[in-house]
Amino acid sequence: MKKFMLIFIGKGYEEMNLSPEEMQAQMGKWFAWNAKMEEAGVVESGDALTSTIKRISGSDRTVTDRTATEVKELIGGYYIVKAENIEGAIAIAQDYPDYDHGGTVEVREIMVFEQ
Amino acid sequence: MEQKIIDHLFRHQFGKMVSILTRIFGLAHLETIEDAVQDTFVKAMLSWRTQMPDNPEAWLMQAAKNRMIDLFRKLSAEQKRVPNFTSGASNIAMQNMFLKHEIEDSQLRMIFTACHPLLNPQDQISFALKTISGFSIKEIASALLLKEETVKKRLVRARKSIKNKSIAFEIPMGAELPERLDRVLEVLYLIFNEGFHSNKKDILVRKELCGEAIRLSQMLLNNDLTKHANSYALFALMCFQSARLNSKVNEKNELVDLKNQDRSKWYFPLIKMGNDSMFQAVENGIFSSYHFEAAIVAEHLKAINFESTNWDKIYSWYEKLYALQPLPMTLLNMAIVQLQRNEFESAFLLLQKIKPTDLEQRAYLFYGSLAEYFIKKQDYNNAITNIDKAIELVKNESEKEYLIKKKQSLF
Repeated sequence: MKKFMLIFIGKGYEEMNLSPEEMQAQMGKWFAWNAKMEEAGVVESGDALTSTIKRISGSDRTVTDRTATEVKELIGGYYIVKAENIEGAIAIAQDYPDYDHGGTVEVREIMVFEQ
Repeated sequence: MEQKIIDHLFRHQFGKMVSILTRIFGLAHLETIEDAVQDTFVKAMLSWRTQMPDNPEAWLMQAAKNRMIDLFRKLSAEQKRVPNFTSGASNIAMQNMFLKHEIEDSQLRMIFTACHPLLNPQDQISFALKTISGFSIKEIASALLLKEETVKKRLVRARKSIKNKSIAFEIPMGAELPERLDRVLEVLYLIFNEGFHSNKKDILVRKELCGEAIRLSQMLLNNDLTKHANSYALFALMCFQSARLNSKVNEKNELVDLKNQDRSKWYFPLIKMGNDSMFQAVENGIFSSYHFEAAIVAEHLKAINFESTNWDKIYSWYEKLYALQPLPMTLLNMAIVQLQRNEFESAFLLLQKIKPTDLEQRAYLFYGSLAEYFIKKQDYNNAITNIDKAIELVKNESEKEYLIKKKQSLF
């Protein structure tokens, strides 16, 4: 089994202006997806990220604030999942709930170093 | 394990939270409050994704309390006037706002605010759906068949009126109450009818509007000041109508008229609720238009099939309704009943009293009924002329198809 990181990219929910009803519906889809993955035993970990962004860059380690509105491609969260191969990970990502709201999933294999 | 969240929990909780916080901070801060509550739901959504709290409702209420403290800090920092939390007594008073009966009280205040006579009648429905029912602008626009821009304007105008006219966040008392309650009932009745008579094919949206109107009416019945006979009658009317909602559209999403509705689909628990409410409504013997309208629908519900409808009784209810509230729509309904009773000349006379343009978007029903009259008189030329007018005016696709089918049957 290999491990993959599913990275969720898109507008933050604050920006989407969903109604309470839509949010509840959306949350239901996240639940369902999570439950499905847990039942299949493929989910390792996962978190949602807040939209506070600090960037540290340069040799002088300059810290800059970025607001979620400035960043077009905001990383909103991630899952680490187990799958046979990348196709398997892509299959898992089919149930990601935010495609209809402009969201994107990036699938990245976690590198394993052999001795 | 996957838990199920109660339907519409977020939407209803949104209304509750906005009402409570408005009672604490005042209507002047309504927009800030709505933003803060919206933010709570975004947070709930993200943090519940993987782990739902054992009691979602309690979680949200706690979040509302936290928002209260945030708002207090935010508004104090902006040098706005805020309630005094510093004394123990006022702090307890604030905490009490989150008790069940106080929440209901706050929601009623919001209903009375939305239906305040100083607000533009057009704005009242949009404002009520947004603030009490937690609909988004998009959802309101879709439910009321309006442009989003129009809804936005109405909401802005309503908020402005509330601010400029210093409308108080209260349940009116004494002599003012009956008049204000009348307007509340009227607005709820309009919300219900937007759902029930909507031209929208999407039955779900229509059910949501009807459901909201029923839920808000039910709140009136939970409070001693507002559980008036007319509130009971309106509630009964909504229950009776809703009981038929499922049978109004068939599997192919076509509109089905009363005659052809599958009466086994009528929803009995709602009929029962309506009946119970009707008993309360008639106690003092003073009847409103809602009483008569409910009586008319109840009469339809009593008939096991279309043929056994008691048209005599229905006609007499309509006469009473018309005496109380002489509306052209009632005349039209009376004419339709007279056609059923084979009282063709009376039907014709009633129709002649109506100016079709007064019926606005329902004018097609007038021409449809006139066509019906001519069919009964076997005057097919006039029947076709009128049915054509009806087809031209009707907006609803399934009703249009129905009229076209009817026209074809005349050849």
